[in-house]
Amino acid sequence: MIGLFRRITLIGLTGIGLLLVMSPRPAAAHGERATEPYIRTRTVQWYDVTWSTDALKVNEAVTVKGKFHLLEDWPNAVSKPELVFLSNGSPGAVLTRVESYIDGVPAQQSIRGLVIGRDYEFKLVMKGRVPGHWHLHPVLNIHGAGAVVGPGKWLTVSGSEADFKQPVTTLQGKKIDDLQTFGVARVQEWQLGFGFIAVAWLLWWLRRPLIISRWLALQKGREDLLVTRTDDKVAAGLLVLVLVVVIVGFTRTTDAFPNVVPLQSGSLYAPPLPKPKEGVTVKLRRAEYDVPGRSMRMSIEMTNNLNRPVSVGEFTTANLRFINKKSPAAVAAVDPSYPKELIATNGLVVDRNEPLAPGETRLVKLEATDAAWDVERLVSFLSNVDSRTGGLLFFYDAKGNRYISDVYGPIIPVFKKTI
Amino acid sequence: MTANDRAILDVAEMSPKIAKWSRTFDILIIIIAAFLVWSVSHIHFLLLAGDWDFFIDWKDRQYWVLITPVVTVMMAAAFQSIFWTLFRLPVGATASLLLLLVGAWIVRYHAWHGLDYFPLSLVVPATGLTGALVLDAVLVLTRSWVVTGVFGGMLYGLLFFPSNWIYLAPYFQPVQHMGGLSSVADLIGYTFPRSGTPEYIRIIERGTLRSFEDSAEWVSAFFSGFVCIFMYMIWWKIGNWACSPKYLPTSLRFRELYGATGKAGEESGKENLKTSAA
Repeated sequence: MIGLFRRITLIGLTGIGLLLVMSPRPAAAHGERATEPYIRTRTVQWYDVTWSTDALKVNEAVTVKGKFHLLEDWPNAVSKPELVFLSNGSPGAVLTRVESYIDGVPAQQSIRGLVIGRDYEFKLVMKGRVPGHWHLHPVLNIHGAGAVVGPGKWLTVSGSEADFKQPVTTLQGKKIDDLQTFGVARVQEWQLGFGFIAVAWLLWWLRRPLIISRWLALQKGREDLLVTRTDDKVAAGLLVLVLVVVIVGFTRTTDAFPNVVPLQSGSLYAPPLPKPKEGVTVKLRRAEYDVPGRSMRMSIEMTNNLNRPVSVGEFTTANLRFINKKSPAAVAAVDPSYPKELIATNGLVVDRNEPLAPGETRLVKLEATDAAWDVERLVSFLSNVDSRTGGLLFFYDAKGNRYISDVYGPIIPVFKKTI
Repeated sequence: MTANDRAILDVAEMSPKIAKWSRTFDILIIIIAAFLVWSVSHIHFLLLAGDWDFFIDWKDRQYWVLITPVVTVMMAAAFQSIFWTLFRLPVGATASLLLLLVGAWIVRYHAWHGLDYFPLSLVVPATGLTGALVLDAVLVLTRSWVVTGVFGGMLYGLLFFPSNWIYLAPYFQPVQHMGGLSSVADLIGYTFPRSGTPEYIRIIERGTLRSFEDSAEWVSAFFSGFVCIFMYMIWWKIGNWACSPKYLPTSLRFRELYGATGKAGEESGKENLKTSAA
């Protein structure tokens, strides 16, 4: 019995010790892999995303720029992008937002009426606020559907948080030194004042004999002892005091701030980028995901509508990039500072790499193999209610010009190679 | 100890020694009750009015002015009912709103400012404390929950906007940002991003109340006062029902100790008496 007691005590102490030793660690991610694959592969496709720097000091800016394409095969289960908000994914307000634009339209408020099948350009300017190592993503929030997170890059913010300031000048010319602390002292002073009155009121009652004695007096019908004429006078005084303070305070405030504006709640329209007049038509004949091999294989029929030959250079979906290493233009198009974990090591394997001649239609097989499918949690095709996939195919001509095509269709999970 | 206090103890037939123990019991109950009032008021508020109070760029002229008082008056009325019905203590509304305000500041400072890096200017809370004080004062003066509901409820809703505007007005000064008009509150909300809270999720400034000569806040305040009247009455009854002694499983001995020898006490313990006899 004593041995058992000792054992339980030992286990308990070990558990407590482990809890104490395990210090809390900051979250490395913020849900970018949580969204279902059919949303990440078939709604917003981010591309050409760049970050102006990966190291900045407090108060210095980083600009995230790029484009996104709204895939034609938008899932039925996902709300259409009729109202969106361009945001950023980062752990709390460690970076501040300076400016944001969709196709040059200021995106402080929401943007309405995005068109499926079209491309948009975005720009986010952020400023370092809290020193640390932070992951920064562009995010497109879609009303009714949630956030579709773009590629993320690790940034290092150095310096001291105490140095951060966000000054602003009002339209009346009043200078606000720092938005972080603006108005807080005024709020605290007034609420503290109201709090003092409230505490005084509570103490007025709580200083007396309370629970049992008041209950008994009430049972014996002696309410006159519990609430007296003096209490009436104090209550009347309190009522007058509160009303006078509020009326005088409100009047003086409206005199001090005669020109105020309500919260702004409108939405803006941003026209999509011009649609290319020509390109390559792509039809997905079959797609399968090789579960043990961690490979997506696609059989596609592509027709060159251009007047020059083009080659397959890249397949991108859900922020993963599969580069055809036999296409020099595609390899050259990869920004060396792009997050390495989002570029598949094995790249894109194309069974027929010779350029597609103008007017030619060809059936080719593409193979995108990488552990990233698993790491990025993009393989729930077996449990998905909408087992289709999609992405963008980049074609390049001899001069390095790029042409982008949608590719989408059903996907079948397999356990051995069928195409 | 005042003459009135002594008179209460005399009516309660408490000796000085019993009165001393009764006071100790008072203090313990106050501490426990404070945590109860605190947590219930806070959770209720978070669930029903959260975002409108969480962020400065949600405090609009329509829904913030309407929803916040309507939600906070519920717990204020319920606790006022409990303390008044059982002990004739007109402190329930003030205690509920004061503790809610203290709780809000603790959470805003430690969780939101400390863990999420939000500046305090983004998350300053509003309060219905002035309305709560008025509610308690009107109850004392009228001794009637119905009259308190009609006049106090209306005043509670009406006072919320002007009493908070005293210190929140500076946040609604106009600024220009990215070529557009913005309030300082909007700019704070934009500058310090909340990744999971897109701009369109704000339920602000909808409908046509703005047609009243730009006095949308007063239209909302009057409507809020109107709704508060009924909310107060409903939640007074809920509080009244919840504090009924008949729901407390007390034994005969406990009721003797508690002094529940009156009619209410007799009725409250009938079931237990039967059980004891059996």
